[in-house]
Amino acid sequence: MTDDLALVERFLRARGEDAFLALYRAHTPALYGLALRLTGGDQAEAEDLVQESWLRAVRALPSFHARSALRSWLCGLLVNVRRERIRADWRMVDAPDIAPAADIGSPDDAIDLERAIRALPEGARDVYVLHDVYGYTHREIAEMLGIVEGTSKSQLNRARTLLRSSLP
Amino acid sequence: MTDLPREMRPDRALEKRVASTLVAAGLVRRRRAWPVWVAAAAAAVVLAIGAPVLRPTHTLAQGNTYVLLLYQDSTYRFAPKGHGAERVAELARWADSLYSARKLERGGHLVGPGPIGGLFMIRAANDSDAARIAATCPFTKYGGRVEVKRFEE
Repeated sequence: MTDDLALVERFLRARGEDAFLALYRAHTPALYGLALRLTGGDQAEAEDLVQESWLRAVRALPSFHARSALRSWLCGLLVNVRRERIRADWRMVDAPDIAPAADIGSPDDAIDLERAIRALPEGARDVYVLHDVYGYTHREIAEMLGIVEGTSKSQLNRARTLLRSSLP
Repeated sequence: MTDLPREMRPDRALEKRVASTLVAAGLVRRRRAWPVWVAAAAAAVVLAIGAPVLRPTHTLAQGNTYVLLLYQDSTYRFAPKGHGAERVAELARWADSLYSARKLERGGHLVGPGPIGGLFMIRAANDSDAARIAATCPFTKYGGRVEVKRFEE
C-alpha cells in the first residue's frame, strides 16, 4: 500500500512513462487475471478491458486518495468497465466474437472449476470471482458493483449452489 | 477461498499498446532516449544554472493548430467485440507518428451522447496539410468521418 502510494505520487509528479510502467507492471497481472475470469477466458476482450481500465485509472488517479487499496480501486474500475460494455453491447452491430476462450493457465485439477465458473450467469459469476477467488468482502463487492450487500450475498449463494450441482 | 491463480501475465505487446494509447491521449509523457553525453552535459548545466531550462518540452512544428473531430456516424463500423483494443492501438500508432513529427498536441476519447467519439489537436502548415493528415487517420478506414477545423485562441 505504501509502495503503491509512492508509485502513484511519483507518476503524478511528471506523468512519465517509466513511472506509469512501474504501476502497470505491479498491478496488471491481477487486473488481467480478473478480466479473464469475468470474460469467461476471452483473451482479446480481457486485454481490451485492461487497456480501458488503465486509461480511466490514469485519468482518475489525481482523485485517488488512498481511501481504499489501489488494487481494489483498479479492480473496481475494471469490473465497472466490463459492466458498461455488457450494457452497450446491443449497440454493436458487428458479428459476435467467436474466438476460442483462452487457456487460463490453471493446473489440471482446477480446469473443471474454471469451466464451471465460465458457465455461471453474469451476476453470480462476478460476485463469485470477486469473493471466492479474489477475497473481497461483500461490502467491497457491493461498492464495486453498485449493489447492496444482501444482493452480493444471495448471488454468491446462487453461484455456489450452481457450482456444486455442475461439478462432479 | 477458492485456490485458483489470481494473477495472469498478459501478452507483452499489451504493455506497449497501453503505453502508446496513454501517450496519444496526452495522459503520459513519452520516455526520451537521451544519449549519455547529453545527460552528463545536462547535469553539469543544472549545477551551474538551475533546473528549469532543462525540462524537456515537446516543441511543435511551425504552423496552425487544427482540431480533427472523429464522427461515429451510421456509416461507422464498430470493432467486433473483443477487438476494440486493436483499433485504439492502431489509432495510437498513428498519433505516435504525428508526435514524432512534432505535429500532435493532444488527443483522446470524447465520452457522452452524440456522434463525436474522439478528437485530436494537431499542428499543420496550412489547411490542405491538415486535410492531408486527416485523410491518413486510420479511423477513416472503418467508415468514420473526420472533420477538420482550424483552431484559433
